[in-house]
Amino acid sequence: MALVNFTNLDFDQIKSSIKEYLRANSNFTDYDFEGSNLSTIIDVLAYNTYITSYNANMVSNEVFIDSATLRENVVSLARNIGYVPRSRTSAKANIAFSVNTTLLSTNPITLTLKKGLVCTSATSFGPESYTFSIQDDVTVPVVDGVASFNSVEVSEGT
Amino acid sequence: MPVERISQSFKDLSMSFQISPLNYDIIALKNETAIARSLRNLVSTLPGERFFNQNLGSNVSRALFDNINAISASVIRDEIENTIENYEPRVNLIGVDVSPDYDNNNFNVTIRYEIVGIDVLPQQLSFALQQTR
Repeated sequence: MALVNFTNLDFDQIKSSIKEYLRANSNFTDYDFEGSNLSTIIDVLAYNTYITSYNANMVSNEVFIDSATLRENVVSLARNIGYVPRSRTSAKANIAFSVNTTLLSTNPITLTLKKGLVCTSATSFGPESYTFSIQDDVTVPVVDGVASFNSVEVSEGT
Repeated sequence: MPVERISQSFKDLSMSFQISPLNYDIIALKNETAIARSLRNLVSTLPGERFFNQNLGSNVSRALFDNINAISASVIRDEIENTIENYEPRVNLIGVDVSPDYDNNNFNVTIRYEIVGIDVLPQQLSFALQQTR
């Protein structure tokens, strides 16, 4: 006897299918009674089939961009056809400031702002203070004892 | 004309999964033995233990942790009776006796029943219920 349906996602229907198979192919008779050992084994088999079917169903859905629901899978499938979806970006700001080096004992030729944390926001944006960083070093020349950092783009985060 | 009697047999797997020396097949439980095993399974199954069948089983294990007395024995007897009447259609329950065994810290259970469908004498199943099995 051929199995009726391979794509069942309902536990009771899977269990019924196994019972139908046993009814036609086995000389054991107690599968209909919930207390029997055979019924316990059928329950385990049906549960295993149910979980496997569910997983197979989920996987086959996630393979196609039309039916995928997890974002990382949609992004992965979209990348295959040449589209990279945008994601959240941090807030950016342009800042300018100058450093007076005339009081230093030796006059530097250039001044470098190291990458990393640069400044924090005032609490006027809310109760929290946000930190801003730069990703690369910024070097500016010292002209007449003053190093001017103009339009340095800082990104929120560390 | 002789009276036609419909007799059915019951056949179940043995959970020992041992090989029968007679036919080299897995050992099977038949008729009275299969039903006795089924009753024992039902009594020792907790509700919620079986997949997608939250009500199957009995709550005797909960009562086993109460004080050993006649009240607990009565609760256990009711649980066993309800379970068998609801989930074992192959038997007609005659009675359930539960007596506390104070010295061994357990309950002695005796279930008396008739098997429906096969021509055998009324059966009796006895076992002890302890907190751990």
